[in-house]
Formats: sequence, C-alpha cells, structure tokens
Amino acid sequence: MFVWSIAVRNLRRRRLRTALTVSGIVVGISMMFILLSLVSGMESQARSMVRALGGADIIVSNSTSFRNGMGGPLGALPSPSTLDESIVDAIGGIQGVYAISPQFSFSCSINGRRITVYGVEPKSYEIVTGGLNIAEGRFLIENSNREIVLGKALMEFLNLTVGQTVSLNTGQEGREQTFNIVGVFETGMFFQEYAAYITLADAQNITGEYGLITQILVKCEDPSIVSDVASAISSTVPGVRVTTPTAVLQQANQMLNTLTMFFATIGLVALFAGSFGVVNTMMMSVTERTREIGILKAIGAKSYDIMKIFLAESLLIGLIGGGAGVAAGSILAYLFPTLTSGIFAIGISPFGMRNPFSGAAGRGWGSRATSAIIFTTPAITPINIIVCFSLGAFVGILAGLYPAWRASRMRPVEALRHV
Amino acid sequence: MSRLIVRTVDLSKVYRRGKVSVLALRNVNLQIAAGEIAGIMGPSGSGKTTLLNLIGGLDKPTNGRIFVDGVDITALGERELADYRLKKVGFVFQFYNLIPTLTALENVEIPLALAGVPKNERRERALNLLKMVGLEDRAEHKPDELSGGEQQRVAIARALINNPSIVLADEPTGDLDSKSALALMNLIKDLNRRNGQTFIIVTHDPIVAERCTKIYTIRDGQIESA
Repeated sequence: MFVWSIAVRNLRRRRLRTALTVSGIVVGISMMFILLSLVSGMESQARSMVRALGGADIIVSNSTSFRNGMGGPLGALPSPSTLDESIVDAIGGIQGVYAISPQFSFSCSINGRRITVYGVEPKSYEIVTGGLNIAEGRFLIENSNREIVLGKALMEFLNLTVGQTVSLNTGQEGREQTFNIVGVFETGMFFQEYAAYITLADAQNITGEYGLITQILVKCEDPSIVSDVASAISSTVPGVRVTTPTAVLQQANQMLNTLTMFFATIGLVALFAGSFGVVNTMMMSVTERTREIGILKAIGAKSYDIMKIFLAESLLIGLIGGGAGVAAGSILAYLFPTLTSGIFAIGISPFGMRNPFSGAAGRGWGSRATSAIIFTTPAITPINIIVCFSLGAFVGILAGLYPAWRASRMRPVEALRHV
Repeated sequence: MSRLIVRTVDLSKVYRRGKVSVLALRNVNLQIAAGEIAGIMGPSGSGKTTLLNLIGGLDKPTNGRIFVDGVDITALGERELADYRLKKVGFVFQFYNLIPTLTALENVEIPLALAGVPKNERRERALNLLKMVGLEDRAEHKPDELSGGEQQRVAIARALINNPSIVLADEPTGDLDSKSALALMNLIKDLNRRNGQTFIIVTHDPIVAERCTKIYTIRDGQIESA
C-alpha cells in the first residue's frame, strides 16, 4: 500500500531525525524490558525454589532436625531427627487438611556422588505436591521395588540413562543396594537436580529406619487456610516444626508485584518522555509536508487517508523503537549479572526466601547459592517481549494521533498555498 | 451546441483577512461546454485561481452554485467532495506538485491507490499513461531527477489517471520554457481530441491562449467576455 511506502520514505529521508526520535522510544522500552525481565527472573526463581520445598502447603518435621543438619561432610548417617509414622494419622485428622504424604529424606552416595534421596509414597506425593516434572521415563509407582527417579543434572553428571542401574550407599556397613532408573525429573535449577526419589519403603529399608519418617508434606483444602492449619498442627502435635512454603511464595509474589509496579512505572515514565519526541517529530513532519498534504487532498485524498499516512509513520517509529528497545533490553538483561554482581545479592532477605529454604530443603550448599541466583538472572520471556514490543507500537500510534489529526484537518487550498 | 459540463450560478467568494474582506468573485455566471479547452485569463488578483479552486471542489463559495455534469457540488459534504476531486476532476498546478519521495510512476498511481485499485492494475494503467505522455523510460525517476517539462507531463498523467471528465490546470506552463510549454499544449490538444476531456486552463501565456477553443476573461471578480 502506498501509505507505507510514503511513510517509510519519509522516515528515510530524515534519517538522523528518525534515529533520534526512535532512540527516545528505545530508552523507554529497553528500560521497561530489562526491569520486567528482572522481575520475571525473580519470579521464576522464587517459584522453583518453593517447588524445591516439595510443592506442599505445609512441611512438618521434627523440631530438632535443624540442629543436627543433614548434609555436611560427615552426613553419612541418616538424620537422627525422625518422626514416628504414627503422627501421620494425627496430622491427617486436623481440620482443613486435604491430603498428606510422609517422606523420608537422607543423605546417600550414588555411584560415589553424595546427594539427597527422598523416600516418598508415589500416590500421595503426587496429590500433595502436584508431582515432579518428569523429563523422561516415569515417576515411581505404588509398591514398586528398587526403582529410582534421578534429577536431570545428576543423570548428566554421572552419565546415566533411563533403564540402567545405580548403586546407593548410605555409608553404613552392608547398606548398599542397587536400583533401576525409571525416570528423570527436571526443575530447571541445577542444584535441585542433584537429588533422587525412591519409595518410602525402600528408603526405610536401606537406612534401616523402619516406621520412621523425616517430613510430612501437607496439602490444605484451601490456600487461604494454610496458616491456620499450620498453627493447628504445631499446637496439637508436640515436638514438630512447621514450615509453610506456599505462604512464603505468596508473600514473595506480593513483593514481586509491588516491585513490578514500581519498575513498570519507572519504565513508563521514560517511555512517556520518549513519546514527546515522537509527537514533536511528527508535528515537524506535518508542518514540513503541509504542501504535500494539500496536493494529496487536491487529487482526492480523504481526511482519513491523510491520517493513515501520518499514523503509519508514527507507528513505524514505535515499531522500530519497540524492536530495538527489546533487542537492547535483551542485551542488557544478558549482561546484567556481570554489571551488577554483588549489588543485589543482599536484597534477598526482605523476601524471606532464605530462611524457609535453608530450613526445609537446604542442603548446606544450596542456600547460599540461591541468594546469588535469584537476583542475577533476568528471564527474557516471550510475554515480556510481546508486551514491550506492542507497547512501543502503542506509544507510536498514541504519539502520532494528534499530529495526524492536525494533518487531516488541513484545508486543501490553504495547504497548497504553503511553501 | 454540445452539453454543458460546468455551469456556475451567481458564484461569489469573499475572503476575510483579519477585518478586511476581499471580494474575489462577484456573481460569476459561467458556462463551459463538454470537450472545450477553456482558457481563463485576466490580470493577477482578478480571481482566476479562486474560480478554478471552486470548480475543482478545493474551496467552498460564499454564495452561488456550481453544477458539474448536472450535480451541484456546492451541496456536497467533505467526503463526497474528496470523492469528486478523486474521480471527476484532475488537477495540474504551476509548480507540478508531485510528491518528492515517490517516483514518477508512483506519483501517477496515487489517485488509483486512493480509489482502491489493486496494485497490478495500478501499475499497468500508470505505465500506459506515462507512455502516452512520452515518459515511459522515466517511470522510476524521482521528481528532482526530471526536468520541469517532464514533471509537468507526469502531473498531467496523474490528473488523467482516474479518467476525469474535467482537467483543471492553474498556469501549467508558468514555470516552463516556451519549447516545453508548446509541447505541453500539443499534448493537451492531443488528449482532448482523443478522449474528449474538458480542459479548463488558467493562464497568462499566449502559447496556451492560442490553443484554447475558448477564452474567458476575468477582471475584478467578474467574467468580462465569453
């Protein structure tokens, strides 16, 4: 359509002016993009960290378990801080509890590499946590014998494939058993994938801790009653510690929403400033081309034809600005970790992520690593790309409306008289 | 006598510049027959261009009516008037008024694009017209790469592309040397003979006047002789 060729050629005719105008949009869009990517990054990190907690609403463990710790170089022995399986029924009877799943986690070496192994009841585990993200093969099934699901990173590290067998060694005399690999899970977070899942019965068998568990994962009937149920558990069952990862996630999400709003506002202000550049350029363009508008009207262009020509031009500025802004933002987001290393690492504590993480699932080396990870990896998501790109286009159109309207309103005779 | 294509009835136009009113046209009653090459002559400021702009639907009269092919164009709304300019009349200006960023071919195509004609057909018709005005080998040139005479021929092609019944020209030879002016007038005569289009030409140029089939002289906003 000739509307576009006129628009493109006018932008080309004034390259420098076009470039300067576009850069106003680029600054706003790239700023917006990197800030949104940062928030997305935090969001996904927060979510996968909570996922590492098991995806359960509440985690019940022995109140002494943290004093002893489970990782460490001498963590050869299974954690002594266990719970008796009988409390499973006690917790199951508390009002608001929808489902529970007992778990026995212990430290163990697999083909010589020390990892955390979780013994779970497959069915209830899936109900309570929503299950693992299986990348290959399948999850455990009820009453399976000597089957194991390993993390993807661990599989790659040990160079294993589904169908092979691995040897688990708890470090105790004579406690070495062979397991069949039936599946691989993926969390997207490297350190979480250095773990394995077997059935609860197999876990108790290999450790010799029959009738004992280390955690009970609880799912509530409704997310809103999690904290009530949690306090009911800690008051009715003696000697347990209660952690509520979803509550932490909600809190973190609230913080992230506030942060998103804050960042988006900064980006919008920058974009707003940039849009004045577009308005200014378009007004100049309209004035410069008054005669051209007169000619077009004289040979039969309607007001909306004129409007289309100028809107096309400002839309193009917006599209180029949006595209270049997203590109520049992506590069900045990519460079962000190097540019800001250390600055944001401390910022983790306000989100309260460190505490519960190191509490329920921290395996020594995990907790420190996460605080760095959470703030240094902006996530470039398709939705952010689409949002920022269309925002550029939208600002282009918006900034072009008034100049285009002015152009379309010109009277042909007067416009033609313009030199 | 052939049928009338343009008829004005008591046409008046008053311009207001601040507190001063200028009477540009005063009760003009003009009749132009279809197929004429009508020359409108007169001193500067006599109202020639005003009359042409009114007939072309670029401006609205203060009083009076203009009938083109029996239709009262003074009663048309803005959109209908734009449509009238697009399909019924073609404009040729003294300073060619081509769009500087577009090629000769694209300039000729504009009215077709505005009328919604598909691209291939547009191209073909525009090329045919450029051939008719002798510029087929200049089709891809921008206006600033063409001579004045060539630009004016592109402008004529653009004015003719939608097959208008009237072509309005305001001092079309005003910026041309006499050789180009003569060539342009011969082209107009030729087109008039072939297609029977009516030309209304505002001019000072004797080369043009000699080739008009009829001359109207305007003085102080009134037609003097017909």
